[in-house]
Amino acid sequence: MSGHEFHPQVKQLLDGDITLADLPAELRAEGGEALRLLAGLDRTDVAMPAVTWRVMAALERRRRRYLPWLLAPALAAAAVLVLWLRPGTPPPSASLVTVRFVLVAPEARQVSLAGTFNQWNTQVTPLVRAGATGVWTATLTLPAGQHQYAFVVDGARWVPDPGAPAVDDGFGRRNSVLTL
Amino acid sequence: MRPESQADGEIVRAVLAGDRERYAQLVERYRDRYARYATRMLGSVDAAEDAVQDAFVRAFDQLAQCKDPDKFIGWFFLILRNRCFAERRRNRTSASLDAANDVAAADRSDGGAENAESRRALQRALLELTPDQREVFVLKHVEGLSYGEIAERLSTSVPSLKMRMHRAYDKLRERLRDHT
Repeated sequence: MSGHEFHPQVKQLLDGDITLADLPAELRAEGGEALRLLAGLDRTDVAMPAVTWRVMAALERRRRRYLPWLLAPALAAAAVLVLWLRPGTPPPSASLVTVRFVLVAPEARQVSLAGTFNQWNTQVTPLVRAGATGVWTATLTLPAGQHQYAFVVDGARWVPDPGAPAVDDGFGRRNSVLTL
Repeated sequence: MRPESQADGEIVRAVLAGDRERYAQLVERYRDRYARYATRMLGSVDAAEDAVQDAFVRAFDQLAQCKDPDKFIGWFFLILRNRCFAERRRNRTSASLDAANDVAAADRSDGGAENAESRRALQRALLELTPDQREVFVLKHVEGLSYGEIAERLSTSVPSLKMRMHRAYDKLRERLRDHT
């Protein structure tokens, strides 16, 4: 044992398992040294009253920044797939393509799509849950071209599609991009 | 009166349902409780305040991932802990005298140059522990948690915690040899 290591029984003392009186006489000086070490520990409370308003101000700043779409922070842990319907067949017209959006979000109570194709309206394009699987889907027919979108979980959490390319929305968040 | 944990769950559910302002109640309730932990982990009140604020904002962002809203605070603690560890990794070289002085200067409740110097020495020594060692030391000897409570909080075993702690005791003794 090197010179700076406490005796195992002194460590028990520091752990609070035994008292100084439980130590053999030859270890009491070392025990006293150990207790003085703990006594020098600063246990005074630290107050941070400003944290509450700083947190709420940060959240409010972000909410205002993302208006009118009420963008809220993204939810992770959701796998998203965009599947084409009728792959390999020509679109029904030169300018419309049917696309199926799929989101795996077992804990979500509701999911919708918001994007350039619905003026970022979170209400008008709901996904439907497939039984108890946690898989949410929506099928849309969209004009050919580029669309930006995100999933909106429980009316507040904007989730980009990790399976699709994304671009910065100019406000520090990512929008998924679908090119048809 | 309802148990505090139930109240946390109710607030979390209300926030998830769109009542964002109620999040301030959670911040208010827990900010100071974890201010001391973050301060002792980071060695600086300013850095700790930033960490606590950032952890609350991150927790808000990820609130839907809090699987058991009634256990919000245990979940929040892990976010704060990760934030503190990341901060220490970023500023590994700044375990400095200035940081130790910052903490010692922040609370001089019982005064005295000797006490202040002793606190500074201990704070410096604490900052030289590994983050894992420092954490278990702070949780047990500053926050007053038992090994069992720490093990539950960190999802680890008591023997593993004791090993970390006992190494911390030896390292602190070595660093403080001139001050004890």
